[in-house]
Amino acid sequence: MRKHSEEYLTGNLTAMIDVVFQLIIFFVCTVNMQDKAIDDSIRLAMAPHGEPVVRKDPLEINLDVDARGQVSLNRDPYSRDELANMLKKVVQEHPGQPIPVIIRGDAATKHEAIQKAMDACVKAGIWKIKFAAFKERR
Amino acid sequence: MARKHKKIEHHPGELNLTAMIDVAFQLLNFFIITTHPVDVLTHLDVFRPSPDLHAPRLTQAPPVIRIEIFPDSMLLNAQPVNRQRLVDFLAAQASLDTRKTILIQCSQKSTHGQLVDVLDQCTRLKLSNISVISST
Repeated sequence: MRKHSEEYLTGNLTAMIDVVFQLIIFFVCTVNMQDKAIDDSIRLAMAPHGEPVVRKDPLEINLDVDARGQVSLNRDPYSRDELANMLKKVVQEHPGQPIPVIIRGDAATKHEAIQKAMDACVKAGIWKIKFAAFKERR
Repeated sequence: MARKHKKIEHHPGELNLTAMIDVAFQLLNFFIITTHPVDVLTHLDVFRPSPDLHAPRLTQAPPVIRIEIFPDSMLLNAQPVNRQRLVDFLAAQASLDTRKTILIQCSQKSTHGQLVDVLDQCTRLKLSNISVISST
């Protein structure tokens, strides 16, 4: 008579776990793509007494003004009129809602470049503007 | 004839953890390499006034603290002032009323850092009614 042997079915989980970790890495790498729209080369001025930013408004628009005075939005350079038209469109799309505009100006940039960004906001009907600065550098 | 019952041995299933631990260490390395301390940001609120053609003309100028910023100097209510004296003056004004209007006029060639420095001092003193204009 043949020997009766009983064996458990065991699935090889290694490959599945590998794939799960690969997926985690993928999501970790891709989740913060929105931040890449901000120009990291801009050296903001220090404002140690300001309130720390804890919440991000989904409507907020970040205007970058680099040390050379170039105004850009999502890393695309804009002239004053182009920027004003673009901001006007945003204001029209969200009637009655305040559009928070944050100017991320390099500490070394001249005020004339900041003025360009501010004038575009005023043309679009945005009077309240925020300046981004570093509260703490780590 | 009596049948001999052979004992069946049950071996618990074994999972090879080596690969999983390898990947876990890979992840640990990834996070150690990519994690960097995040700078704390702050936002300084200002108003950008614009000439309102429909507004009635005022016979008397409203009481404002006027600060003019130039590349290498500052004026406070048309008088030359250094940074320390400006801060002392603002502190004295803030102790009386933090709702006072502050009008900061920046010259074209002044740096943005100078403006942010003045705004930071205003924020420290809880002066919130700040407008920024640019000189032509």
